[in-house]
Amino acid sequence: MDSFLSGAAQIFTLATLIYMLAGSLAGIIAAAIPGFTVTMAIVLTLPLTFTMEPLQGIAVMLSVYVGGYTGGLISAALLGIPGTPSSVATTFDAFPMARNGEPGRALSLGVWASFFGTIISTVVLIVAAPPLAMFAVKLGPWEYFSLIVFALTIVASLVGDSVIRGLLAGLIGLAISTVGTDPIMGRPRFDFGIEMLETGLPFLVVLIGIFAISQLTSEVEDAKSVRSGNALVTGAIDFQTWKVMKEVLLRPVNLIRSSIVGVLIGALPGAGGSIANLVAYDQAKRNSKDPDSFGKGNPDGVVASEAGNSATAGGGLIPLIGLGIPGSAVDAILMASLMVHGISVGPRLIMDHADLVYGMFIAMAVASLMMLFVSVVSMRMFLRVAEVPKWLIVPVVMVCCVVGSFALNNRVTDLYLLGFIGVAGYALRALGYSLAPLVLGVILGPIAETNLRRALMTDADPSLFFTRPISLIFLIAAVVSIAWAIRGHLKQRKTSGRSTDAPAS
Amino acid sequence: MSDAGYDKQQAREAGEIARLLSYVLILLASVGLFVSATAIPTSRFEKLGAGAFPKIVFAGIALVAVIAIIDALRKIPAGAYGRFACQTVAWARRRYLVFVVLATLAVYLLAIPLLGFSVASFLFILGLELVLMPRRPATLLVAVIVAAVFSFGLNWLFAEVFTVFLPRGVL
Repeated sequence: MDSFLSGAAQIFTLATLIYMLAGSLAGIIAAAIPGFTVTMAIVLTLPLTFTMEPLQGIAVMLSVYVGGYTGGLISAALLGIPGTPSSVATTFDAFPMARNGEPGRALSLGVWASFFGTIISTVVLIVAAPPLAMFAVKLGPWEYFSLIVFALTIVASLVGDSVIRGLLAGLIGLAISTVGTDPIMGRPRFDFGIEMLETGLPFLVVLIGIFAISQLTSEVEDAKSVRSGNALVTGAIDFQTWKVMKEVLLRPVNLIRSSIVGVLIGALPGAGGSIANLVAYDQAKRNSKDPDSFGKGNPDGVVASEAGNSATAGGGLIPLIGLGIPGSAVDAILMASLMVHGISVGPRLIMDHADLVYGMFIAMAVASLMMLFVSVVSMRMFLRVAEVPKWLIVPVVMVCCVVGSFALNNRVTDLYLLGFIGVAGYALRALGYSLAPLVLGVILGPIAETNLRRALMTDADPSLFFTRPISLIFLIAAVVSIAWAIRGHLKQRKTSGRSTDAPAS
Repeated sequence: MSDAGYDKQQAREAGEIARLLSYVLILLASVGLFVSATAIPTSRFEKLGAGAFPKIVFAGIALVAVIAIIDALRKIPAGAYGRFACQTVAWARRRYLVFVVLATLAVYLLAIPLLGFSVASFLFILGLELVLMPRRPATLLVAVIVAAVFSFGLNWLFAEVFTVFLPRGVL
């Protein structure tokens, strides 16, 4: 209880609340701009939080996160373009609804669904994380290593269209993490005589290069669309805030089901909002009495998609707080920000820094309230944001990336690294590698290595990985997740192969 | 219409070849790094040395890359290799803006230590805007204002508020 109050005291200071408000505003604006993802927004927020207290920094980043999941709704509903990948399913019903003359209702539905989705997921997080941590501290290095192997395979198999390229990306991430001194003995590795590499590749620079620079570059692939502007839905917009709140609350089954789907998917490593919104939408459609009306402006579709993607925010924190394993790229960044402040993330987090964890819970709830407040008060303004053209966004955000990478270490060499990683990241993206496993590989690499070596230092017998039951379960799960992914892949190829081969034969 | 479909098929094949090349590159790099990892001295205090984990990772990469290469070789029809060069040129031409942006970024990063953050950023933003934007007088004004705010303004913000001093340049 003491730590709960201490966490609350740290969150409810004027400075923190103002920063958080700015964070939700920034998150909503960023995600409302097509081509600017939630991940990018969080990556760029990270350097700004270095000077803050740990909890304050995390609270600001959570606000950006929660705000970002809502902001994607704006361009999804009004332009039919998902502002972020996590609002793809929102376009299915919110856009037709806006087109049918109810853009305000579509937006309000989404905002309320996001709000309740976040709140429900926070409740699940508060209930689920502490027992998970209690269980996790009993795990030895064997179990931990196997758990990370499992996490990486599931990431590789869930994200992207190719299991092999997903695996390769994850392994490349692990390889990147081995540059610099080794985590146990402190021996230099792979520095090739370059001074900058002696301490390892700076994680933030890698993140910005991989996610932001490559994403921005891919935005200009289509020369024609860059040079034209998008027309916005015009006409009077009536938000009907309170009426819609009732409307959302009158769909409790859909709301809770979609939120639970979001929490579960968010808690799975690798799967985040970009999958949850589609699954929640699909579930809502299947369970609807009137499935044909989906895709034509059914409010249930909007509620399902937005509650689903927002609920992943709380779900993703469950493995992060309980196990010290990030569930998604965004959670990896949150974890990195804690590590920058010298807080080691793992199952002991909740015991050693209980005030921080409770503070995070409170921050989630406060952030969702702020998101609601900001959205209701200034939604009209955000309508303009979705209009910001790409030719402004790309150069400006690139400069922000440069500032962010520089501010970490005040080193000009980091900028060269940023350029190099940006090009490499774009090449990987263009070749169809998914980048999320790579980032998780970078952050999980040192944890995996430390646990592997610690396990073998405790007992030189490697068969312990297979004879300790929990470790064995994780390893079997890893094999199953790969096998399952390959099976699905083959099945898909068979059907698509038949359809392309048919005209040839 | 069938012509466009044919092109797409060829483009897909070219993409497969490009991926095949990337697998080969990754395989070579991982084998090379594996070999260099064997040179990392081990310690007598533990069974696995500092080089063991990298070796496992690079062996894993090599293994997956070999599988990927075999898989890719099966997929690519024999005639596709001959068309690869011209498909690549066509691909690069469709995406010429990407190369413009990346080249501008490279020049910008190299110019920061020389010109200083503010001037280099101003030139970078304005230059890239001029390349990307629809050329109208009104947008030009917006472009100049935005460039000024996010170069000189950002520099001021970081120096005054966050006390992070961005590179000043030597000129």
